[in-house]
Amino acid sequence: MTGYLSSIWRLRHFWMALVRIDLRKRYRGTVIGIGWSLLQPIAMTAVLCLVFSQIFGQSIREFAPYLLTGLTFWSFITAVVMQGCQSFFQGESYIRQHPAPLAIYPLRATLSAGFHFLLGFAIALVFVWCVKGFGNLPALVSLVPTFMLLFVVGWSLAVCLGVANVMFQDSQHLIGIVMQMLFYLTPILYKPEMMLDKSPHFAMIFNYNPFAMLLELIRKPLLDGELPSLWAMGASSLFALLVVCAAMLALRCFEKRLIFYL
Amino acid sequence: MTLIKLDDVGLKFQVRRAGRISFKDYLLHGLFRRSKKTSFEVQALENINLTVEESDRLGIIGPNGAGKSTLLKLLAGIYPPTSGRRKVVGRISSLFDIALGFETDANGWENIMYRGYLQGETPRSIRKKIQPIAEFSELGDFLNMPVRYYSSGMKVRLAFSIATAIAPEILIVDEVLSAGDMAFQTKARERMKSLMSSARAVIVVSHDMKSLELMCDRVLWLDHGKMRSIGPAKEVIKAYTQQNNQGEKRQAA
Repeated sequence: MTGYLSSIWRLRHFWMALVRIDLRKRYRGTVIGIGWSLLQPIAMTAVLCLVFSQIFGQSIREFAPYLLTGLTFWSFITAVVMQGCQSFFQGESYIRQHPAPLAIYPLRATLSAGFHFLLGFAIALVFVWCVKGFGNLPALVSLVPTFMLLFVVGWSLAVCLGVANVMFQDSQHLIGIVMQMLFYLTPILYKPEMMLDKSPHFAMIFNYNPFAMLLELIRKPLLDGELPSLWAMGASSLFALLVVCAAMLALRCFEKRLIFYL
Repeated sequence: MTLIKLDDVGLKFQVRRAGRISFKDYLLHGLFRRSKKTSFEVQALENINLTVEESDRLGIIGPNGAGKSTLLKLLAGIYPPTSGRRKVVGRISSLFDIALGFETDANGWENIMYRGYLQGETPRSIRKKIQPIAEFSELGDFLNMPVRYYSSGMKVRLAFSIATAIAPEILIVDEVLSAGDMAFQTKARERMKSLMSSARAVIVVSHDMKSLELMCDRVLWLDHGKMRSIGPAKEVIKAYTQQNNQGEKRQAA
């Protein structure tokens, strides 16, 4: 395991260069460039705020950063999952030429998704700062391990789905549907309380949905200035551990053989 | 000293019958097609026993589809053997499919960096090599252009210049010299010669019997994934040419 990680580290210049290309490629020939990455979540938040603050009767100062964090988080997860599916196909020409640890290709997908996540998060941070100011510093510091956890979860998910998709290419379609369903089962557009008032059974889903837990780790410190609940921390860590094990298992079984299925 | 040892190595490919299944196909036939066998097996290599010693110069010959390139990729560690054992001591540099694997949106300079990084260079170490690589490729101002606008010859020039910029320990080559224009081919041949003389061991696949006879001391003849014979370059090449000539005569008759 450490040997594997250190061989990934030795190739850091290679995959970091690939991430830089991916980020640049996305805005090739555009005028605003990276501005699009900032504009997209802002525009989505604005329009959703307009609609949902009416329906749910929420104040915009509360609801805007709530939506923004939810949406950025979710676009990170979908990006990791969907690009993770393609990561080995994308890196095929390198895989065919050079024996390198395969995990660097999902890592490439995770890092470029992570970059956009941090951008979106920075906007939310600035917004909260302007509207409320920051109360609780220790709570904010808890975001550092949260981001690391998120990175590990993202990378492992990308590895698992990358392998799954090479072995069984219908995975990407299946996972696309699953992600869409999860989008509505995770409190991204609405607050858990809104749902629980109407139907208390949903508590089950929110308490056992790992993405809801991860999202709480991000939102609690930023929006409420509080440390996330122990349950959320424990459940997210357990989930992270599970996907890491799954990713290690997938690599152990398929790392060498994967090239035969590309 | 033994650098490479293959012990009764075999390689079996799983080949998918169709290409990727499109979403439409998946909806229409997906369920039914699953029930049929979607892949078949190809025994690409069988019972390969091979040792490469220090300062060996090994040539590999055989008809198309005999498994030559597959064997090279197995030696380079890209394919794992599906049976038997492979042991390698030393760092392997390989020259095959070199025109693939460019980032087409990046320019020539950047691609030199990426390839270098993949071969284990660091930003500092590549800085010293980047100028010689650029000069050898003779691409000049084209290096400022995205690789997507390169011709295939230009890509080969660039790839060859990068791949040969680092002195290899064990060099594995797959007929790279067949591309590029005449001037570049001569130059590339010169560089290959100097690389081959400095490498601890060389394994080369080629259809050019004359140059193989000059370059190699030993030759392996592969046929249908099996070792037909292995021995001194002259003898094996002679036997191989004879067999080919007979085949031609038979066809003519």
